[in-house]
Amino acid sequence: MEIKYTIQGLLIYITIAAYLLALFVSLLRRPRAGHVLYVLGFVVAVVSFGYRWYHVRHVPMQNLFEVFLGLGMIYPVSVFCRRVLRIGGRSADMLIGAVVLVPAGFFFDAEPQKLPPALQSWLFAPHVAVYMISYVFMAKAASHAIWQLAGRSPIDDENLLPPEEATYKLICIGFPLLTLGLILGSVWGKLAWGDYWGWDPKELWSLASWLVYVGYLHYRYMFGKRHPRVNSVWAIAGVVVIVVTLLWVNLSRLFAGLHSYGAG
Amino acid sequence: MQGALWGPAEWRNNMVMSVQRGPKNRLRRAAMWAAMAIIMLLFFLSVYGAFIGPKRAKELFNSTVLGVYWVAFALLLMVGVVLFRRLLRVPALLLVHAGCILILAGAIWGSEAGRSLQKTLLGIDIVPTGQMQIHEGYSDNRVILEDNEIHELPFYIKLKDFRVEYYEPGHLYIQTRQGDTAWELPVEIGAELQLDPGFGAVEILRVFENFRITIDGDNRTAVDEPGTGINAALEVRIKTPDGRVSTRYVFDRSRGHIYPDSPLYMSYERVIRDYVSELQVIRNGRVVAEKDIEVNHPLHFGGYHFYQHSYDAQAAEYTVLMVSPDSGLASVYSGFLVLCIGAFWHFWLKRPPKVAMPQSAQTRSAEPDQEANKWKSNTQSRAY
Repeated sequence: MEIKYTIQGLLIYITIAAYLLALFVSLLRRPRAGHVLYVLGFVVAVVSFGYRWYHVRHVPMQNLFEVFLGLGMIYPVSVFCRRVLRIGGRSADMLIGAVVLVPAGFFFDAEPQKLPPALQSWLFAPHVAVYMISYVFMAKAASHAIWQLAGRSPIDDENLLPPEEATYKLICIGFPLLTLGLILGSVWGKLAWGDYWGWDPKELWSLASWLVYVGYLHYRYMFGKRHPRVNSVWAIAGVVVIVVTLLWVNLSRLFAGLHSYGAG
Repeated sequence: MQGALWGPAEWRNNMVMSVQRGPKNRLRRAAMWAAMAIIMLLFFLSVYGAFIGPKRAKELFNSTVLGVYWVAFALLLMVGVVLFRRLLRVPALLLVHAGCILILAGAIWGSEAGRSLQKTLLGIDIVPTGQMQIHEGYSDNRVILEDNEIHELPFYIKLKDFRVEYYEPGHLYIQTRQGDTAWELPVEIGAELQLDPGFGAVEILRVFENFRITIDGDNRTAVDEPGTGINAALEVRIKTPDGRVSTRYVFDRSRGHIYPDSPLYMSYERVIRDYVSELQVIRNGRVVAEKDIEVNHPLHFGGYHFYQHSYDAQAAEYTVLMVSPDSGLASVYSGFLVLCIGAFWHFWLKRPPKVAMPQSAQTRSAEPDQEANKWKSNTQSRAY
């Protein structure tokens, strides 16, 4: 653990503080003030991402530090979910935003790096961005799954979806993105390494996470009505596998492979 | 799989499998169980494969047993399309499953077993994935496989030139012997850096792409011979605080070398931006294709892709290409496209028909209202 005494570090810490304060204020039933703080945190997160982009002179998605910096810009997902999908959980989003920025602020190496030849591809940004967005939706789906298991539901006057259905809807948004991320990675693998599937540990974990959601969708179709709580277990399992895919593969020496350069 | 992201909640909630009695439904149920089993088996195999490393994982997933598994997977998907009429009524869902079938079919066709089958049944002899080592100015058609077996392509590849490109500028990295202080100076002739008091200053005098020493009697002269090898170096002048001036050569290759009488460690650091091989394809003595290949930009010719794989790190005089056949690739890429279109269409764009509840959901129970209420009570209870 290391505190970053840099402008980048300062921006990350301000974002974390704004998100946590927004969460705290929201829990004290001051939703308007919480919302203002959430927006403030988001603005600082965007500035932080833009600053990094300017600093490294390429789309900042090269390593875990940059990926987690991007994941911190979660606010648009909250707005989309609430306004378009009628899905709540803004407080959880604030917490997710703060949590994903903690490793960026305290653990991952922020040393700027030049893009190695393999990453100089038009597929670099779309592949990583699509995965990041899908991961945010899947994390949000898991939070609703936990609420469903805890037996909680939205307040009637907010006209929001119940947790199980919200989980399903979020997975419906995230699953095509997860599929696209896997396919873009595969096409990129063919261009860069000569094969669309290299049996690399990160590829296999990505396939495993995709399969959990395929399993979720089939299970829900088959038994979902009779065992709705199990649906939620699938959704939580999915996010656990995503965390392994995202973190463990890059950090652990157990899974050294083609994606090792992504370790932050 | 379920669908319909946008629509009445009741409709969506009831988009679950019809559990009618009868032999056909028993068959559907069995197929669904088989699908769940095959998905979960692949999940566990993927996790296991991640632990054993890419080489062993490739062997595992290409083994005969798993060959049977892949064929069974593809067949089950086809059986699913036939058994579940809904797949035929919902084109997006059909595309998702058809995409998976195409990917599996292409992968099987392009695998080692698939290539053997092509040779036996159709007489198509495809050169498997291997490597070619070609020197500058020479052409070759021999592909060396992992087991050192040599196959010949029906055309030749000529290497006109190979070069390594670097990010500009490189950096002169300076560090104290104790490692407690470090400086970086962007490489430019005439660039000067004042170090901390006690260490003096450094100045970059010359930059060499390929450093060589010529000896003429007792005179030794440093010269640059670009194009004949790789030996990047810097000529650096060091001024100590007491006014002494010395010259030092700092090399890109021999990082970590420390002069015995110097309090400073120096290295010339360059980051590789790209590797470029200028290739020509020669068939019957004529150049039929030409491309400068680099990482992410392979050459495609005659059913093969040629990738920049490795190079001569000492003198940059030869390149190593990876040769990979395209067998089954069209099917796999079509599958990717179809799967993607189907997934976005089904989960993002499809609107449900304007009915309150599908027949399938109503037939699930003799008392559908009671069942629906039970479902609702399972998904809603206390407030957030």
